[in-house]
Amino acid sequence: MKTQLFSRFNLIGYSLTLIGVLIVIQIARIQTSQSGLTLKETSHRIYEYNKETIYPERGHIYDRYGNLLAGNKEVYEIGVNHDTVRSPETIARDLNAILGLDYAETLARASTSQEARLYTPLARGVSAQKVDEVQAKMKEYADLASDGKRSRQGMATPSLRGLELRPQLQRSYPEKTLASNVLGFYTFFDQKKGLAYFGVEEQYNDLLSGRPMEIMRYYDPNMVSEIPPVPPGASLILTIDRSIQAEMERIVDKAVSDHNAASGTIIILDPKTGEVLAMATTPRLDLNEYWKLKEVFPDNTPFNRAVGETYEPGSVFKVITMAAALDTETVTPKTPFLDTGVIHIGGYNIYNWDRNAWGPQDMIGCMQHSLNVCLAWVAKEVGAADFYRYLDNFGIGKRTHIDLAGEVNFPLSVPGDRDWYEVNLATNSYGQGVAMTPIQFAMAVSALANDGKMMAPHVLKAVIENGHQRSFKPTLVGTPVSAKTARTLTEMLAVSLEQEASTALVPGYRVAGKTGTAEIPGPQGYTSSLTNASFVGWGPSDDPQFLIYIWIEKPTSSPWSSVVVAPIFNEVVSKLVVLMNIPPDEVRHYLYQQGGN
Amino acid sequence: MQRSGLFLLCLVGVALVAGLYLSITAQAVAAGVQVQALEAQREQTQRNIANVQSQLAFLTSATEMEKRAQEMGFRPYSAEEPLYLVIPEYPGRQTAILAPPPSARGIPQPLILPSYTQSLWEWLFQGILPAQED
Repeated sequence: MKTQLFSRFNLIGYSLTLIGVLIVIQIARIQTSQSGLTLKETSHRIYEYNKETIYPERGHIYDRYGNLLAGNKEVYEIGVNHDTVRSPETIARDLNAILGLDYAETLARASTSQEARLYTPLARGVSAQKVDEVQAKMKEYADLASDGKRSRQGMATPSLRGLELRPQLQRSYPEKTLASNVLGFYTFFDQKKGLAYFGVEEQYNDLLSGRPMEIMRYYDPNMVSEIPPVPPGASLILTIDRSIQAEMERIVDKAVSDHNAASGTIIILDPKTGEVLAMATTPRLDLNEYWKLKEVFPDNTPFNRAVGETYEPGSVFKVITMAAALDTETVTPKTPFLDTGVIHIGGYNIYNWDRNAWGPQDMIGCMQHSLNVCLAWVAKEVGAADFYRYLDNFGIGKRTHIDLAGEVNFPLSVPGDRDWYEVNLATNSYGQGVAMTPIQFAMAVSALANDGKMMAPHVLKAVIENGHQRSFKPTLVGTPVSAKTARTLTEMLAVSLEQEASTALVPGYRVAGKTGTAEIPGPQGYTSSLTNASFVGWGPSDDPQFLIYIWIEKPTSSPWSSVVVAPIFNEVVSKLVVLMNIPPDEVRHYLYQQGGN
Repeated sequence: MQRSGLFLLCLVGVALVAGLYLSITAQAVAAGVQVQALEAQREQTQRNIANVQSQLAFLTSATEMEKRAQEMGFRPYSAEEPLYLVIPEYPGRQTAILAPPPSARGIPQPLILPSYTQSLWEWLFQGILPAQED
């Protein structure tokens, strides 16, 4: 009986042991099977950590005095978590009331998970104020839910459960349209696939955007590891002076409106460094509403005409022709010229702008009266080879490589090219048959305002990266003419403005400058009565601190630059000397004597 | 009696180790939670800084400043009005310097002793298994 009892106990023992061993084997089998491993990995991924890509804060953009032109602001993405959502109707109703979202669309998005996603975004770029209103609603419903009396009475409680508010940084342009053509924009609504377009944003996108970092964010506090700080993108300090830029934009807007012109452009350069102090063009876009690009810039309108559109500059180009002639010693300011009103070159007759003969002149008179016949003769005397060598040295027909995206170029036809004829030498001498961007021409003429040294135009002054500020030094592009030539021509142009009693003159300040009225070529030739009116000038003439280039496209009030643009130049100089703290010449000379700088 | 004493001693030892383990784990978890909270706080602070900078820039934008100046009765002055003076040593308005220039020494890094960052395991085997660390 006892043996039988033991054998039964043994049997139960063996059975239980066997069951235990089988359980262990099964546990081991499940854990090592493929599906078991997948399950483990999935649960690990879902419940233990979240793989996130951290996008660094986009670098800021400042003007030369540290005023913020492009920064970032906190906004929210509002979305719905389909796992926890309770009342899509409440979500749709409240978001319709607070954010103005379409009720039916929001309800549909909140009710069903799209593409089997756990989370569906409902609104992006929501301001902190609006989010506060949403949070107030959430709190109100939470208070209602905790009210036991309400649930006892069987009343349904509205709920915003499942609504997620995800904070993020969004590009912000506090100056709105100011310098928008220089800045460009970043499509901030898509943080992951955001793209930079135009201007500084596109040109320096790699620097500004920084490097995104992928991190594991653990839910288990035991596994928490420090998230390395993600360095923000580099910040940029531009050469732009906000005050000058704002003033130039005001002037160019008024000019375009007053003269019913197609567009306007004003460039202010520091000729000694090539720094762009202002680059005002029309139209301009509020960069916080970049999606209105096509509205503001219809029909392929260039975003920044100063770098993105070429045109025939007309008589302002005569300063380049005269510089070449002075530098080759073909002429001097006193070289006489008898203007008969016509010159025959390459089988064509070249006439003056008024088709009149101006009689005996010297070179100052030729510049003062902007005589095409005289300048065509000058170019002929210089000779085609030397003339085009000088144009090349001035960078005509070549990109300036200014650090703004979207610079365009129109190649210059030179002797030997199939589209070059002898008459081109004459027409090119007074700025027809040669096309360039305003910045190309401003760079070329800046050499004349800087003792013959031509500096690379640029908008980047310094970069702030990894806590350090690196400044960029000006770059010399070339020396197309000698210092003597540059000073002689400056004097000639200052005298010609004074003799003409030009409306460009500003009392107390001696400036050098030249008007330019250019006919506009069309498919049938120069048939349009509309013109491009320009003015290039610099000052003070004995120590140039600014170079101004103005282009008013197709003014309808008058075709002549002397009528349209010379007064604008006067206004620009009047504002500029105040904003740049440049005293009148007499005062400046006195201050120099007193030891000022 | 001896056996019971030995058993109890072992039990107390195990309980002590378990208690110590529990205490250290709890502290580590609390520290982990704190790290998470601080990281979230850091991100929030960074967003706040950016936000405040943007708001300030908007409030001091060219348009806003001009509007405020006009409201206060100011007007732009003309080229004839300013009185220029020589102020010895005054270099004039300088362009923005928002960060120090690069230097050979670089920015000094905060000095954190290894004892604050290394684990008990690393501390125990410090110097014993240098080859593995390399």
